[in-house]
Amino acid sequence: MADIQLEVRDLRKTFHPGLFESDVEVLKGLSFEVRRGEIFGFLGPNGAGKTTTIKAITEIIFPDSGSIRVCGLPHTDLEAKRRLGFMTESPYIYRHLTGREFLRFCGELLGMQRSGLEERISRVLDEVAMDAHADRKMGAYSKGMLQRLALAQALLGEPDLLVLDEPLSGLDPVGRRDVRDIILQQAAAGTTVFFSSHIIPDVETICDRVAIIVEGRVRAVGSVAELMSDEAECSEATFVGAVPADLRTPLLASHVGSDASWARVSSAHRDALIQELADRGARLVSLNPVRSNLEDLLMRHYEGEGS
Amino acid sequence: MRAVVAIAANTFREAIRDRILYLFLGFAVVLLVGSKLFGMLTVGDETRIIKDLGLVAIQFFSMLIAVMMSLLLISREVDSRTVFNILAKPVRRWQFLLGKYLGLVAVVAVNLTLMTLLLVVVVWVYQHELDFMLFFAGAMTMLEMAVLAAFATLFAVLTRPILGSLMTLAVFVVGHMSEDLWLLTRQLPGAFARAVIATAYYLLPNLERFDFHTEVVHDLPIPAAAVVWACVYAIVIIVLVLYLANLRFRRKDLM
Ligand SMILES: Nc1ncnc2c1ncn2[C@@H]1O[C@H](COP(=O)(O)OP(=O)(O)O)[C@@H](O)[C@H]1O
Ligand SMILES: [Mg+2]
Repeated sequence: MADIQLEVRDLRKTFHPGLFESDVEVLKGLSFEVRRGEIFGFLGPNGAGKTTTIKAITEIIFPDSGSIRVCGLPHTDLEAKRRLGFMTESPYIYRHLTGREFLRFCGELLGMQRSGLEERISRVLDEVAMDAHADRKMGAYSKGMLQRLALAQALLGEPDLLVLDEPLSGLDPVGRRDVRDIILQQAAAGTTVFFSSHIIPDVETICDRVAIIVEGRVRAVGSVAELMSDEAECSEATFVGAVPADLRTPLLASHVGSDASWARVSSAHRDALIQELADRGARLVSLNPVRSNLEDLLMRHYEGEGS
Repeated sequence: MRAVVAIAANTFREAIRDRILYLFLGFAVVLLVGSKLFGMLTVGDETRIIKDLGLVAIQFFSMLIAVMMSLLLISREVDSRTVFNILAKPVRRWQFLLGKYLGLVAVVAVNLTLMTLLLVVVVWVYQHELDFMLFFAGAMTMLEMAVLAAFATLFAVLTRPILGSLMTLAVFVVGHMSEDLWLLTRQLPGAFARAVIATAYYLLPNLERFDFHTEVVHDLPIPAAAVVWACVYAIVIIVLVLYLANLRFRRKDLM
């Protein structure tokens, strides 16, 4: 299926650290599909196996079993590798190279035509706003600058599929915004983006679809809206003139502030709360629906581990 | 092939910017001071002493470069994860290894050429003799270094950095004692000890085959067969050792 840009099927990987250490089963039959043109979030806590999966996709490690297809080709195919742009978890450094020399090196590895290469390098440097620093040694770069250069390198070969491992982690707010903008731009230009994160808001705001990975398995896949559709909505009320402890309406949570009180009720009990507050002569200051967010969902998946 | 060349060029550039060529200065000092010193101490043929000392120093410093570079050859790329960036691109693992090997060979070659050039100039200035056979001896040492570099590459993928370098050094040392090993196998008492020494003899290259110092220094005839044989010998070993390195590296999980 040409419309699936990245297909990972039943991936398993056990590490054998050494003679006297026990084996670590990191991937336990992990599967998911990324469709053409979407931004796909790979969300899971630290140690879930995100980086291990990405290393398997990029042939840095070899899975014990399972299959991976990139752009409809086996991931080991050189053409598949040419179409894939990859950025590692933490930026790598060649201290002896300038940013521009590094990109030239990457271009040669990609087998890019020498004629257009310099122009293309200037383009991507411009895209990641690194043109001003391109001729300085990478050893002198800040973490944010390295991240941008790593991103430039991933974009260099005009990939159909971008695979980014924690592209937003460890950046300052401006850096995060910039990288997020670049991801969105790339997606708008038709590139499929697959990126991992352990930070929920990163995924929530820009992903078309999300896979939740916990302990080497995909627990749920879907759009953010889909993942939360079966979650009961609830409401948060702020009011004066009544104490939450006195209320008969069942509350999910409450807090007594110096001026006003705050309570959260499920949607089913929202009208009862309004009624009761009116009956008691209390004044309702605000009432807002809150959707249970991805975090709650994730927490439930994490907690579901033990059972 | 472009990827191989790019990786070799990058390895070369890294070594140069790491100032590994400064070792050349060490050689220059040894050569100049040494030939003055020996020239004063001995009454014999000063030219021969300078040539002999120079060729041994060339060999020693080239070996030093190979051993030092093997320390970081693969491990630096793996530890700093730059290797991830390379292998995720349309590059095969054998291309990476070959590129690394050729980069190492190029660094040694540039050094060795400079050193040989200096030796020829020194002989010319001190003794007013232009001896182009020194270039021949240098070329044969280069062949030896190409063999040593293959072992350095193999050990770099087999073991940890320091151990790998020590093993490369051991190949150099034992490789020059090959004949002695052969004698040992006949003289040692225990059958086990004999077997161990014999294994080492057959597994490690005889690097003396590339040593034409005596012939060059003393203007002796050089049998063409020995030269051809040395070339064939080098190529076979290099191919074999790099093949083994690739066998290990081909499906190695990188962390
Ligand atoms: N080479 C290895 N040997 C043993 N365990 C490993 C190795 N690499 C990763 N792990 C373990 O696999 C788990 C998943 O790691 P990783 O894929 O890096 O997680 P994530 O990227 O989701 O944070 C972790 O518990 C980690 O300790
Ligand atoms: Mg990770």
